[in-house]
Amino acid sequence: MPVGMLLQLSWRNIWRHRRRNAILLSAIAIAVAGVMLLNTMMRGMQQDLMNTAIENLTGHVKVLDPGYLDDPGIERGFEVADGWQSALPDHVRGWAMRIRVPAVVTSERETRGIQLVGVDPARESISFLGDAAVSGQRLSGPGDSRLLIGGLLAEALDTAAGRRLVLVTQGADGRTREAGFRIAGVYRAEIAGLEKAFVFTGLGALQRLLGTDEITEISIRLDGDEFEAATTAGLAGSFRDQDVMSWRQLEPQAASMVEVSDITIYILFVIVMGALTFGLVNTLVTAVMERLRELGMLRAIGMRPRVVVAQVVVESSAIMAMGVTTGLTMAAGIFALVADGIDLTAFDDSLASFGMRPTFVPVFDFRDVVLVAVLSLILGAISSFYPARRAVKIKPLEALRR
Amino acid sequence: MSERVVECRDVSRTYDDDAVPVHALRGVDFELAAGEWVSLAGPSGSGKSTLLHVIGGLDQPSAGSVVVDGVEVTTLSAAQLSDLRLNKIGFVFQAYNLIPVLSALENVEFILQLQGVDRVERRSRSREALDSLGLSDLENRRPGEMSGGQQQRVAIARAIVAEPVLLLADEPSANLDTSTTRELLDLLQTLNRDRGVTILTATHDPMVMSYTTRQVNLQDGTVVGDNT
Repeated sequence: MPVGMLLQLSWRNIWRHRRRNAILLSAIAIAVAGVMLLNTMMRGMQQDLMNTAIENLTGHVKVLDPGYLDDPGIERGFEVADGWQSALPDHVRGWAMRIRVPAVVTSERETRGIQLVGVDPARESISFLGDAAVSGQRLSGPGDSRLLIGGLLAEALDTAAGRRLVLVTQGADGRTREAGFRIAGVYRAEIAGLEKAFVFTGLGALQRLLGTDEITEISIRLDGDEFEAATTAGLAGSFRDQDVMSWRQLEPQAASMVEVSDITIYILFVIVMGALTFGLVNTLVTAVMERLRELGMLRAIGMRPRVVVAQVVVESSAIMAMGVTTGLTMAAGIFALVADGIDLTAFDDSLASFGMRPTFVPVFDFRDVVLVAVLSLILGAISSFYPARRAVKIKPLEALRR
Repeated sequence: MSERVVECRDVSRTYDDDAVPVHALRGVDFELAAGEWVSLAGPSGSGKSTLLHVIGGLDQPSAGSVVVDGVEVTTLSAAQLSDLRLNKIGFVFQAYNLIPVLSALENVEFILQLQGVDRVERRSRSREALDSLGLSDLENRRPGEMSGGQQQRVAIARAIVAEPVLLLADEPSANLDTSTTRELLDLLQTLNRDRGVTILTATHDPMVMSYTTRQVNLQDGTVVGDNT
């Protein structure tokens, strides 16, 4: 197969109909850039959903007592053996032990049901608490018996840092514990719902209040979602009496949204590029019909049928490759302009209901570049099949007589 | 007797496309020896172009046998016919039929590229072919930048560069003026006499016939005269 000749002829033929091919190239480039930018948005949304789920005190992997999810309370606590961390594989960004129990918090004016969480503040860089803005003071350590409450809860309770709240919860012995706590600080979270749900205090202080040495969860944050399965498997051996669960099991709604957005990416690609394929086929058929006489002459002077097919395929693939390259370059350029994030604070309330942050950061995934490029080229080759078939069916003599 | 390049036996060609079958060739017997320049002559519809196309493997006879350089053409597949045309036959068409996006040199080289000749050799042979036809100065021009006569000479260069056993020319003078036609015929005569190229021409142009070494007359699809 004379590859050099095919490339030369195809390249020249592309430039032969500049306007028509420029329009086709623009359509391909715009479609590819559009699909690619939509992908960055979808990937950004995916990432946002995942991060929110993971940072929402879940982590990539969590160790819990069986039954805790159905009936959360200190009676579902467990003790941790020394040296359990040796079961952690590489790629662990951090871990945190916590107690999380339901409680009722009361101010002078209001009462609210909340999740009371005992933490070691130094370990909470793995959750939203690590980055949360705090007015007042942060918790100083696991022995700190003051409270850190969310801004929206503070508003609802009509209270502020420095004032006192009363907490009522159930102790390890099953009896009600009630104690007064001073508010060290008020935190702000990107997801507003968290501010109403979680009240933090020191882990040791909460253990003292509840009369236990146990914890209710270990949360583990990894360097990436891809290490989750290995970590879950590794920890399962060390925590035979507990459940070792992934964030997908703990946050099934977020996990299914992530999966749906994955499928949406493919569907969008097929719809946009599929529509474009019709345009490509139409243009290629037109190009073949315009050159019937020339193709007939090529057959007459000895070009084999398969070389004629190859020429049409190379030509359409070259147009597709140019369009895809231009489209990806355009997408990269536009992405660079919004890479730092898009401010969506105007839609804050709506986004919060989806568990999304007000600043939307698109994600440029190299796998999508490969996906779009490879699938586009395959589509280009497939769409050239029909015009190539038309070209090869040309009888040299009939074509020459035209 | 000289070696036979073409041997047609009882060749018929009937077109059944229309309601009434058209018998373009009716039992034609024809032979062409190496080194001859034969013109197939006759009025329109006499079958001269059909016979030329059948011999060139561009059309299949309805009946009969066509042997070109020892190969029975009627039994070949499409790909084998392509190879036959590529390697054994050179074509000169009425409308030149050069590839518009290629220069004169590239058009001539094209055949050698199809044959898989390496770049250095094909460039050298193509330049030599163009040079022999007085086209050295035009090698970088595209067909649209050349006159009809120049394009036809490039088409001849393309046809002879692969050194075919047979050169087929279908009405080669149809689109040329008298002086250009004469130049073209002088050129073909040189190729025939000096290089021994076997040429078969379909024409109704008396000037073309006057140059050929033998004239075969056809009428209503049959050979009615064969004059040396």
